[in-house]
Amino acid sequence: MNDDRHAPGGPTEGRHLPLEGIRVIEFGYGIAAPVAARNLGQFGADSIRVESRRKPDSLRVGGAGWIPKGYDPGVRWDTMPSLNFSSAGKRSIGLEIDSDDGYAVLQQLVARSDVFITNMSADVLPRLRLTYADLQAVRPDLVYMSMPPFGDARSPYRSFRTWGQNLSAISGVDRMIGWPDRDPVQLGFAYPDYVSAQAGTMAVVAALDRRDRTGQGCEIELSQYEMALAAIGPAVLELGLRGTVRSTNGNRVEGVAPQGIYPCRGPERWVAVSVRDDDMWAALGTVRGLTHLAGDRYATVALREAAADALDEQLTAWTSVRTDWEAATELQLAGVAASPVEDPWDLLTDPHLAAREAFRVLPHPRFGGDLVFGQAVTMSDTEPRFARAAPGLGQDSRDILTAVVGMEDEEVDRLVAAGVVHEMNRPDTTLERPFLHWIHTVSHLPWPASTFEPAELFMKRLEAEMARDADEVGP
Amino acid sequence: MTGLLDDIKVVDLAGPAITYTGRMLVDLGADVVLVEPPDGSRSRLLAPVATVASGVTISAHFAYMAAGKRSVTLDLTSAVAAPTLERMLEWADVVLVTPDDSDPLPAGLDLEAWSEAHPRLVVTVVTPFGLRGPRRTWHGSDLTGWAAGGVLPFVGDADRPPLSPAGGLAYATASTNAAMATMLALRTRTSTGRGQLIDISVQEAVMSVALEAGPYMVMETVSIPYERTGMRRSTPPIGQYRTKDGAVSIVGYMPGQWDALASWIAEETGNDAITLDTFGGTPAARSPYVEAIDAWIEELTTRYTKQDFFEEAQRRGIPVGPVNSIADLVADPHLEATEAWRFVEDPEIGTIRYPRPPIRVDGDAGDVGRIPSVGQHTDEVLRDALGMTPIEIAGLRASGTI
Repeated sequence: MNDDRHAPGGPTEGRHLPLEGIRVIEFGYGIAAPVAARNLGQFGADSIRVESRRKPDSLRVGGAGWIPKGYDPGVRWDTMPSLNFSSAGKRSIGLEIDSDDGYAVLQQLVARSDVFITNMSADVLPRLRLTYADLQAVRPDLVYMSMPPFGDARSPYRSFRTWGQNLSAISGVDRMIGWPDRDPVQLGFAYPDYVSAQAGTMAVVAALDRRDRTGQGCEIELSQYEMALAAIGPAVLELGLRGTVRSTNGNRVEGVAPQGIYPCRGPERWVAVSVRDDDMWAALGTVRGLTHLAGDRYATVALREAAADALDEQLTAWTSVRTDWEAATELQLAGVAASPVEDPWDLLTDPHLAAREAFRVLPHPRFGGDLVFGQAVTMSDTEPRFARAAPGLGQDSRDILTAVVGMEDEEVDRLVAAGVVHEMNRPDTTLERPFLHWIHTVSHLPWPASTFEPAELFMKRLEAEMARDADEVGP
Repeated sequence: MTGLLDDIKVVDLAGPAITYTGRMLVDLGADVVLVEPPDGSRSRLLAPVATVASGVTISAHFAYMAAGKRSVTLDLTSAVAAPTLERMLEWADVVLVTPDDSDPLPAGLDLEAWSEAHPRLVVTVVTPFGLRGPRRTWHGSDLTGWAAGGVLPFVGDADRPPLSPAGGLAYATASTNAAMATMLALRTRTSTGRGQLIDISVQEAVMSVALEAGPYMVMETVSIPYERTGMRRSTPPIGQYRTKDGAVSIVGYMPGQWDALASWIAEETGNDAITLDTFGGTPAARSPYVEAIDAWIEELTTRYTKQDFFEEAQRRGIPVGPVNSIADLVADPHLEATEAWRFVEDPEIGTIRYPRPPIRVDGDAGDVGRIPSVGQHTDEVLRDALGMTPIEIAGLRASGTI
C-alpha cells in the first residue's frame, strides 16, 4: 500500500511515541476538536485537519490584526497566533466535503485512518454525512469522537452555536468568578473547550488501546457543556447538600484565609497569596515585616476568616513596598504559597518556564519560525514531537492525496481545478510578525536565521504587494 | 461504567490538585484505590462542607471526587506501612501523587526510586510549578496557579485587583492534563514494557487553557492593554449583558452574527443608528464606540429573561449563553432532556445529585459510584489484590497502621 504513516518531522529518534502509526482526521472548528487532534499529533499521530476555504475555521478567518484590510485573505488565514495553539504539528488538506467528489476523498482518508474528531454542532453532522454510522461504514474499527457544545439528539439546544465564552456562562463556570457586590464577570477565554480537548484526548487514547486488544472501535461523545459542568462538579453537590452555593467572594475561597491578590510596587504589579492551612499561617508569622501576626490571635482558619479584611490590610501594607517577585520569593522561602500575577510578557521571560522549555520556535510556512507553547505535560520517557507550527490552509493537500490516498498528480490537479481540493494560497509569500523581534529579544529563544525587517518597511512591502495585485486585476 | 479501562488499577495518593484525575479514570472503568490515613483523608474536610439532615458532615468536594473509588487506610508515616505500600505499587498500573498538598506521604518520598523499584508503574505527579526548574520547591494553591498562568491581568474590573475563578478550576485542568498524560504513558508501556514519571505543573496547566488570551497576545502587539475586561474593547461586542433576571454572555463580533444582532436591536428598540456601516465593519472598527454599542445592546437584553434571550438569539444565529447559577442548571431543559443527572443513594447522607460522567462511549456515560467510608475496602484490597494473609492484616491493624 502506498502509505505515508509519518507526520511532519518523521519518527522521533530513539524514542517511542505512543501514537506512532496512528492517523487522525480532524474536521473541527475553533478550539475543542482542533486541540484534541493537536495533542494526538504531538504524541505521535499523523494528525490531518480537513479544512474548507468556503467556510474556514474561525481562527483562520480571524487572521493577524496588523494585516491591512483587503490583503489577500488566503494568506491572512495562515497568520492568527492562536492557530499555533490549536493546530501546531498537524498537516492540512483543503477540501470541500459538501461536494460528491470531496466527500469521496474524505471517505478514502477516513478508510486509511484510525481516529475521526469533530466538534460541529449535533444537527450538522447528519447533513454532512459525518455521523459515526456514516464513517464506520468505510472504517469499521474507527474511533470516532464528537465534541459538540450540546451533545445528544434529544437536546433542545442541539442546533445551537456557541463559543467557549458562551459555554462558560451556560455551564456555571462564569458564576465561579466575581466580586460579592458586583455583576459576575466573563472569564474571557475558552476554558470549556480546553478541558474538553484534554479529556477527549484521554478518551481517544483509551479507546485506541481497547481497539488494539479487541479489534473494536467506538463512538465517543463528549459534550462540552457537560464537560464544563463536570469541572465544577463540587459546586453542584454543594447546592444539593447545603441547599445553597456560597456566592463568589472575589479572590477569597471558603476554608482558606488570608487569600487574595495584593498590590505591589509598580503599575499593574500584583502578588497572589494563599495561606492554605494553619502550618502556612505559622510560616507567614516568620516573614520579616509580618512577625507581628504570629501568636494565637488568628490561630484557626475560622478566626482568620472572621478577620479577613484586617489581614488583607496588613498584607497589602507589606506587599505594597515590595516588587511582586520580591514578595512572592520572601513568602515562598518562609513556606507560604504565593506567586506574582504574571502577564503574557512575564511568561515569555520567565526563567522557570524557560528551564522547562515551555515555549518553542517551530517552522511556519509564512513566518519561517513562529512561537508555540509546547505541552503542559512532561513525561520522562515520552518526548512529544514538536515538528512544526500550524500549517498553512491546504499546505499538505497534494502530499496527503498522493501518499495517503494514492492519487495520481493529474487527479489532484483535476480536483484543484474543480475547486474541490485547495492547495496553499501563494506559498511563496512570506510574512513577518511586526512585533516578533521583541519576543526574540526578551525570550532568548533560539530563532531561525533571521531576515527581520523593521516593521515600517514590512508594512510598506505589504501595501506595495496589494497595489500590485490590484493592478493585475485591472479596472 | 464505560469499560475502556476495566483492567487498569490505580493507587490514589492525590490531594486536591488532581483528585479529579482519579475520578476521570473511575468513570472510564478503572479500579481506583484511595489511600487514606487511619483517621481519614484531609480531603474529607475540604470546603465546601455541608451538614445534612442526619447530622452527618460531608465535604461536597470529597463527595464528588471520591465517588466510585475504593478506600484503604494506611498510615504512610509509619515505617511498618512501607512493605504494604510497596505491594500496592507493585499491584498498581498507576499512582497519583501531589507532594505539595495531599495527605502525609512517606518521609523522604523518592519518586524516582518508586519508578526504579516498579518499572511498569506510571507515576503521575502534580505540583504547583513542576518537578524541574528554579521554582520546583514553591508551594501553591488554585489561586497561585491562576496567577502564575499569565491570564489574570485580563479578568475582573478595572478598579480592583485581577480576579481569579473559584471552584478549583486550575486544579481541574491540572487533573485533565494528568489524566491525558497517564493514558499516553499506559499506551507507551504496551510497546516499551516500562512505566514512567509524569510531571505536571499547575502553572503550565493554566497556560494550556488560556493561551489565546495570554502569550499569543504579545504576538499581535507590543503594548498589552491592561484591560480587566478582556476582549470587550478590542473585539466588540463580547461580554455579559444584563437581562430582566440576570445576564447573558454574548459573543457577536463575527460579521454575520453582528449583522443579526444589529438588525434585531433595530427591529425591537427602533434604534436605526446601530445598523449604520460605521458599526458594521471589523470588530476593530467598532472598538471606539464600545460604550455606546454596549448600552444599545442592553436596551434589548433587558427586555428579556436570560433563557428567553438565549433561545431567541440562537434562533437568529447569534452565539449567546445565559449566565447560569448552579440552581439554574438544575432546571436547564438540555440537562433534563439528555439525562445529565445521576442520583446516588448514600446510607448516611441520603440522595445526592451528581452531574453524569461527561464522556459517553457507544451511547453510555455510565453511573456514578458511591462515596467510600474511611477504610471501607481495606480488608478486601489487602487480601484479594495484595494477597496478604489474615494474620498479616491483623498485625497491621493492631499496630494502628491500617
